[in-house]
Amino acid sequence: MSETPQTRIWSMRIAFAFLVCVILFFHLLPLETTPRRWVGPDLLLAFACAWSLRRPEYVPSLALAALFLLADMLLQRPPGLWAMLALLGCESLKRRARGLRDTGFAGEWLSVCIVVAAITIGYRAGLMITLVDLPPFGLTVFETVMTMLFYPLVVATTHGLMGVRKATPGDLDGSGGRI
Amino acid sequence: MAKDRTSSNEYTGPVRRLLLSVIVLCLLATFLVWRIDSPRVERFRAQITDKFVPSLDWAMAPVTGAINLLKDFQSYQRLAEQNSELRSELRRMQAWKEAALQLEQENARLLDLNNVRLDPRLTYITGVVLADSGSPFRQSVLLNVGARDGVVDGWATMDGIGVVGRISGVGENTARVILLTDASSRIPAVIQPSGQRVIVSGDNSAAPPIEFLEDSDLVRPGHRVVSSGDGGVFPAGLLIGQVALDPAGKLRVRLAADYQRLEFLRVLRHHGTDPVSDTARIIGPQLPPQPVVAQEEVSQ
Repeated sequence: MSETPQTRIWSMRIAFAFLVCVILFFHLLPLETTPRRWVGPDLLLAFACAWSLRRPEYVPSLALAALFLLADMLLQRPPGLWAMLALLGCESLKRRARGLRDTGFAGEWLSVCIVVAAITIGYRAGLMITLVDLPPFGLTVFETVMTMLFYPLVVATTHGLMGVRKATPGDLDGSGGRI
Repeated sequence: MAKDRTSSNEYTGPVRRLLLSVIVLCLLATFLVWRIDSPRVERFRAQITDKFVPSLDWAMAPVTGAINLLKDFQSYQRLAEQNSELRSELRRMQAWKEAALQLEQENARLLDLNNVRLDPRLTYITGVVLADSGSPFRQSVLLNVGARDGVVDGWATMDGIGVVGRISGVGENTARVILLTDASSRIPAVIQPSGQRVIVSGDNSAAPPIEFLEDSDLVRPGHRVVSSGDGGVFPAGLLIGQVALDPAGKLRVRLAADYQRLEFLRVLRHHGTDPVSDTARIIGPQLPPQPVVAQEEVSQ
């Protein structure tokens, strides 16, 4: 590889920001202006989880917070709450990343499912406590389940197309040390 | 090298945790500020959208066009049956067109006879739909007209036929339209011909339900729903749609505007209805203000 680890980290951080912008772009396309009965998965959250578990150094918490807040702003959600919960979820995944590195994919999927469910429940609880109008329950459940189901696909994309893989023993980390 | 890293981890660990808690507190504070002072944060949101979305416009238009083309391609398969459907519809429409022309002439004659002045201030600006809400939980679209064009919160937007929604959130170059189907949309309306006043309140479904209906016996499916202008923020007399009965027996509005394809929207300039400001007075002959003094002056 011609690039140093430091430039690789920064280029991957920029790549993640770009990925988020692409997802938001497709969300914002004026294709569907009638109310829908079904919802797609929350790809933003799924990608954030997948990247946090694989390479925590590519998704620093400040960048995650800023991108989630941008998504909150653009997608007409109450700003801050979802961003905060998603950030906490990703951080807890990052902390567990080292333990999950050696277990199979099933363990990872399970822990992501738990985190996604916790974020959704926490979000609804937060809205309920502050007396904000709740989004329809059916759609929320649908979106959560879709996010969980699509997670393996997201991981495959992350792993295969974007080349974000789990650190293996012997890889160099950002400061040039071995992991 | 490995030793270096572990020692640096010992320092970065607590710093990282501190940074994380600061970020989390900031996000929580944002949410609480939004909850307490929503208008200011919403204005901020409109500004962010105003910066972000128009810069993507060059890419959005072709991608939207391409995807719509693909969607249309599916409907080409049913071209033959669609054609025959359209032909029979056209025959029915021609009868209606004849009736409409006659009614238009009659209406013009009557208006002329009555010396009616139509409100000349109801002019409009047409905007192009830039983006939708991006989330299945909210129903709104973003237009490419904004404060620069004099758009003000609360104005009505229509497509060619019916009301689409109202402006809520104006940036410099963009304005957000909350659609009638959004869960936070409430529009005062009147049902013709029975003249009952109702509220059309969106609930994230394609046909918003009718609420606060006094006497449901007077309303039949097919009756027209038009905006009533109650409250003074929304112009009166705009077509919203037709009454329809859903399987659960609830009255809903089948919207007249074509929500499948929202491309160009009219924003109606509305400067509010003039309030009646003076109090009631006795109607009688016009007298001079102080008749006694006036008489004295005359006599001198």
